[in-house]
Amino acid sequence: MKPFDFVKPDDQEGVISALAAHSPRVRILAGGTDYLVELKHVSQSPGTIVDVSHLQELRGIEEVEDGLRIGAAVTHTEIMAHPLIEKHVPAMIHAAHTIGAVQTRNLGTLGGNLVTCVPSMDSGPTLVALEAKVTIAGPGGSRCIPLTDFFVGPRKTILEPDELLINIVIPKCNLGKPTSFYKFGLRKGQALALVNAASSLWVKGGKFKDVKISLGAVAPVVIRCPKAEASLEGLPISQDVIQEAGRIAVTEAKPIGDFRASLEYRNDLIEVLTRRTLNSAIQTANQS
Amino acid sequence: MDVKLTINGEEKSASVPPETTLLRLLREEFNLTGAKIGCDVGDCGACTVIVDGIATNSCLMLAGQVQGRSIETIEGLANMDDYHPLQKNFEDLGSLQCGFCGPGIILSAKQLLDDNPDPNKEEIQDALAGNLCRCTGYTKIVEAVADAAREMRGNREAA
Repeated sequence: MKPFDFVKPDDQEGVISALAAHSPRVRILAGGTDYLVELKHVSQSPGTIVDVSHLQELRGIEEVEDGLRIGAAVTHTEIMAHPLIEKHVPAMIHAAHTIGAVQTRNLGTLGGNLVTCVPSMDSGPTLVALEAKVTIAGPGGSRCIPLTDFFVGPRKTILEPDELLINIVIPKCNLGKPTSFYKFGLRKGQALALVNAASSLWVKGGKFKDVKISLGAVAPVVIRCPKAEASLEGLPISQDVIQEAGRIAVTEAKPIGDFRASLEYRNDLIEVLTRRTLNSAIQTANQS
Repeated sequence: MDVKLTINGEEKSASVPPETTLLRLLREEFNLTGAKIGCDVGDCGACTVIVDGIATNSCLMLAGQVQGRSIETIEGLANMDDYHPLQKNFEDLGSLQCGFCGPGIILSAKQLLDDNPDPNKEEIQDALAGNLCRCTGYTKIVEAVADAAREMRGNREAA
């Protein structure tokens, strides 16, 4: 690794001022499972690295007025074991479990997964299907925006070099909403998703309500599928309409073909995973 | 930067550049070469150590991040009189051939058994999914972990 300066501020304010002082040659380090790998291969020093992994402000999971707030530096392992996650958003447990392996889940953070912003991120689809918002702090104060506006492109978010992702909020209206996540990778451990997907929905009187479908690894960022969602809204549940929604979802994605999977294969997976997540969310809805 | 930490119960300190990983710190400053440099990017698990009770890839932590923390390495597992039950069962079953992946696998297994004394086969496989073995194969490794778990439960009941 190229030499750099390492700072470890005591609190969020300290991070914001360290970022301002060293911007633009500054990077934030949380779990490090992606960034340290990158750092080992870059030819230029990043300048200053600001460690945020220990900050209390970024670490809790709690119920707040707006919904469920998850600190950006909460690790995937912590998500898998947290009673509030199990109670309100159990699909996040399954999504977290599909990430890397034990050692990387012990280090890697939810915020880091979003900030790194690779198209195949496994935290993305569930959060997008639950209309999560993110809070960003910077020199001018903090702001809260929809997660879908946070993603800009592969490895690119809306964050400025002097800004920090503070937390992720699942809106109150979506706590307990039946949701299902499915990842298709080539192995159980240490595999990137060829396609991943999440669906959330309510079932009211045997009909679809508030359907949200999200897909990962099939576009430059994690996407929603508004046409497929709209095709189901208010309709009685049937396999015919679910199959049609899967076909529509394919038209809303723009997958690439690469060494992991061809474009055609990914398109098939989109259909299958859309159906599977819808059916699984319906099953959850019918059980509750 | 100056780093103070506890390794296998002993307080240690070193002065290293910020770009030093925990793995290099252990190997080059403290001569604890049980943790191996395999892929060095968090894929193979050969560098696994336990930090404050949690198994992590030591290649993915910086020296500055382990300030004041407590590290367990493979060197701390056995004492002069006896092997740890995991080590003994790996030896008995021939669960290691070249042994390169062994320290990481045994520490991942130790964290599993610390949290869950009676894991089933799937739970053992899940706990070891971040540790690659390229010569023995996983069957005997998983069996040795299950045997060690049984032995440790027996020891606890006898005590």
